Amino acid sequence: MLELKDLCFSVPVEVDGGIEEKVIIDHLNFTFEEGRFYAITGPNGSGKTTLARLVMGINQPTAGKVFFQGEDITSLSITERAKKGIAYSFQHPARFKGLTFRDLLAIAAGTDDEEMILALLRRVGICSLSFLDLPVDAKLSGGEIKKIELATTIARNPRLAIYDEPDTGIDLWTINPMVRLLKREQVERGTTTVVVSHNRAFLEVADLVLILVKGRVVYQGKLENALTMLTDMSICSYRHCDKCSGEEDAECYR
Amino acid sequence: MLNAIDKELLKTVADLEDIPKGAYNIRKDGKLLSRATSANIDIETYGDGKGIIVKIKPHTINESVHIPVILSQAGLFDVVYNRFEVGEGSDVTIIAGCGIHCGGPDPEGHAGVHEFIVGKNARVKYVEKHFATGPGRGKRTLNPATKVFLAEGAQVEMELTQIGGVDEAHRKNELILGPGSMALVTERVMTEGEQIAESRNTIILEGAKSRANMISRSVIKGDSVQNFYAVMEAQAPAFGHIECDAIIMDNGRNETIPSLKALHPEAELSHEASIGKIAGDQLTKLMSLGLTYDEAVARIIQGFLR
Repeated sequence: MLELKDLCFSVPVEVDGGIEEKVIIDHLNFTFEEGRFYAITGPNGSGKTTLARLVMGINQPTAGKVFFQGEDITSLSITERAKKGIAYSFQHPARFKGLTFRDLLAIAAGTDDEEMILALLRRVGICSLSFLDLPVDAKLSGGEIKKIELATTIARNPRLAIYDEPDTGIDLWTINPMVRLLKREQVERGTTTVVVSHNRAFLEVADLVLILVKGRVVYQGKLENALTMLTDMSICSYRHCDKCSGEEDAECYR
Repeated sequence: MLNAIDKELLKTVADLEDIPKGAYNIRKDGKLLSRATSANIDIETYGDGKGIIVKIKPHTINESVHIPVILSQAGLFDVVYNRFEVGEGSDVTIIAGCGIHCGGPDPEGHAGVHEFIVGKNARVKYVEKHFATGPGRGKRTLNPATKVFLAEGAQVEMELTQIGGVDEAHRKNELILGPGSMALVTERVMTEGEQIAESRNTIILEGAKSRANMISRSVIKGDSVQNFYAVMEAQAPAFGHIECDAIIMDNGRNETIPSLKALHPEAELSHEASIGKIAGDQLTKLMSLGLTYDEAVARIIQGFLR
């Protein structure tokens, strides 16, 4: 349902007074299948968020194509992709002066009907009714705004839902209900789900785990078989860096 | 008595479909159009018809006064001085506003001074909207001023809005807060084209434990200019906050100067000010919910000025 063909993304960076292209996504090819649950993990700076943003159209790829349900959407805007059924939960959600949770839900759902809004809240389950008329501004805690972000994504009834680190700032006892919610959306509504996360709870329920390193998929498969690889990464995520010889001489301040 | 233009202006500035219930005073083209008083609220003419005195009896609860001004006479500049005496323990809403309909090339304008003497433990909600419309090219000017004196424990909530169409506005707000009193002032101004709006505010926290919060929201479109100045001065152990945000669109210009003066060691004063375009992450978020770029801009501005 979502096909990434030879996808590249790089940004110019200043190195020793000159400009060099830093590669973030490196000729990446992958096909996401309808109705499945994917978890994308990998060390910091491996390109996970960039990959998600390229799918939503927030960034444009330097080269390569994105196909959604057979159609080339590479040149489509964020709005056009949203209307085709792609939804995106931001890692650091925007805060607004003057817009409430109810406003965002109504925009997402395309209706401000009270019954429909309440039904959405029940479906999402992790946002209390008292949130509804709160302004989505800087006063909200990190956890509250992430719950709201997730609810607005679900309110879109997307064909493809992308969640970038949905558990940032979420308390421990909300993570499992959150995982169950995303799983339920996948199973009951057939939502193709892509979660970018380091949290084991999301990796465990995924049909397929992808590990990204330096903008390439270095592993795809079940979590069990990826555990050794992930454990290695957790010891030192700089193991691929040129300056560092790993555990022996980390050359960093760990 | 009210023609179609009058009705439209009244609806916009005072949310009135027709003549209101309760106490009211409607002023049209510099003259009294109609007035009603209630058992607890009296309205008297002041100084040769140049203004009114609204007297609210102590402990008047849940009553409202409407005092809209409408102008549709070309070349007229109407000046009023209104005084409100709110008796202690009252809880009232005062709805003011000025609507200008400009049909010709001559300028029209309105300047008003509203003075509030708010008694002990009284609560006042003051809503003021300014709006100008009409096909004429005459310059529309509105220069409102408010002076507020809060007695011990009094509370005032002021919502001051300039919706659109006003070419030039110079606003002045002065508040003096007695012990334990509280003021919340919210000002929302949108300008476009070549419009100019200036707001000067002075809030004096005179009494111990007085609290004030001044919020300013500006949207500056086209080649318009908006300047905002606020001075919050604490003369006692008091709490004050100024929050001013300006969204600049097109070639709008803005100067914002919040100023805090603590004349007492236990004063707590703070301010936050920001000027800038609409944040990119806000636009991206709303577009990811299916809105176009233009729809997202409109929704953000609508919320910001609400």
